[in-house]
Amino acid sequence: MDRLGFLELMEELLEVPAGTLNGNECLRDLDNWDSLALIGFMAMVNEQTGIILAPKVLATCQTVADLMKLVVTSDRDSVV
Amino acid sequence: MASSRIENVRLAGVASAVPGPALSVSEDARFPADEVGKISASTGVHRRHLAGNQCCTSTLCAAAAESLLAGMAIPKDSIDILIFVSQTPDYLLPATACAVHGRLGLSPSCAAFDVNLGCSGYVYGLWLAASLLQAGAKRALLLVGDTISRVVSPSDRSTALLFGDAGTATVLETSVGAPPIFFELGTDGSGAEHLTVPAGAFRRPSTTATGQRREREGGNVRSDEDLFMNGGEIFAFTMRTVPMLCKTLMQRAGWSMDDADAFVMHQANRFMLQHLAKLMRLPKEKVVMALEDFGNTSSASIPLALSVSLADRLRTSTTKLVMAGFGVGFSWAGATVEAGPMTMPELVRVGSEGWEAE
Repeated sequence: MDRLGFLELMEELLEVPAGTLNGNECLRDLDNWDSLALIGFMAMVNEQTGIILAPKVLATCQTVADLMKLVVTSDRDSVV
Repeated sequence: MASSRIENVRLAGVASAVPGPALSVSEDARFPADEVGKISASTGVHRRHLAGNQCCTSTLCAAAAESLLAGMAIPKDSIDILIFVSQTPDYLLPATACAVHGRLGLSPSCAAFDVNLGCSGYVYGLWLAASLLQAGAKRALLLVGDTISRVVSPSDRSTALLFGDAGTATVLETSVGAPPIFFELGTDGSGAEHLTVPAGAFRRPSTTATGQRREREGGNVRSDEDLFMNGGEIFAFTMRTVPMLCKTLMQRAGWSMDDADAFVMHQANRFMLQHLAKLMRLPKEKVVMALEDFGNTSSASIPLALSVSLADRLRTSTTKLVMAGFGVGFSWAGATVEAGPMTMPELVRVGSEGWEAE
């Protein structure tokens, strides 16, 4: 998954208009980033890439870009 | 995974019981209406039946058992084994199975014991009962249910709008020539902390402090005697485990996707079931969803789904079922069963007079 594709999927997940996100957003400032969105994010990543993200790793992410790194680099350390 | 192939045992009947009338989650006043709507849209739970503080799991299971035994017209003294699977027993001791044995008036020659399991508990119970029947018993009564709402904080949005209560009864019996039942079971105890009631038993006995509700992550309010659920960890666990469980089972049974008539998974929540169905490429019409009016009923969810979604089919014809229970423990168990025709009584609704009489 590339950067643009990732941001489009995040916008769909968070129900914000297309082109809204650039990656620098703090997750805690996003109204719709909650426990349901976190599970939706895990499902989205799993569906698109087959990766099962570890919630402990997700909990360390501060920004949209932090989430992106987990997916775009497909870092095996982040896979449960 | 532990594997078993059971010969000459059949499911003879399933009955389910729920307490009182259904209560709508939209009536919950503790969370804003838009938040309730959002959670409900994701979980698929719109109504639940809640036990309140008077109704025990055993009450619901006994009502289901009475209905089933009457429907099957079998004598009570023909029951060799009574297994009660629940995380919400009547007492620390004795075993609730013994108390229910007395209430149902079963024979003194009937073995009775409890098993503490939740989401995987129904399939575990089938496996235990079937294994004991294969070892020489003739007929088993499996009671499975929970009143999880009684350990849920009403101010914890991760659990408060999800769970419902139910009790079920299943009769298994020896039947020469019955199609084989395949079981797969497993455990990952490293996940025990992710779905737990941390205090109130013997590791952390109940104290004033453990009973005190306070604010936790995400503004959720609960005590250490309330149910804690880490939804993310459970979701990751199910993605790791359930597709492989179902694949292994179907390979062992020699079933293709076309062969299976219905996939009856633990009714955890709609979002999870839809994602698992997508991962496994299951035909949508074969994936049973029975959450809307009952919520996640823990150990009871698979037999309750049989009662409310497949009863007509199971009464009249043989149905190839893939069952998968997964969750608290972490524990999982799956089975392929060719079930029916069998006795499937109507859903029993236990009013408050039913539990006050005990």
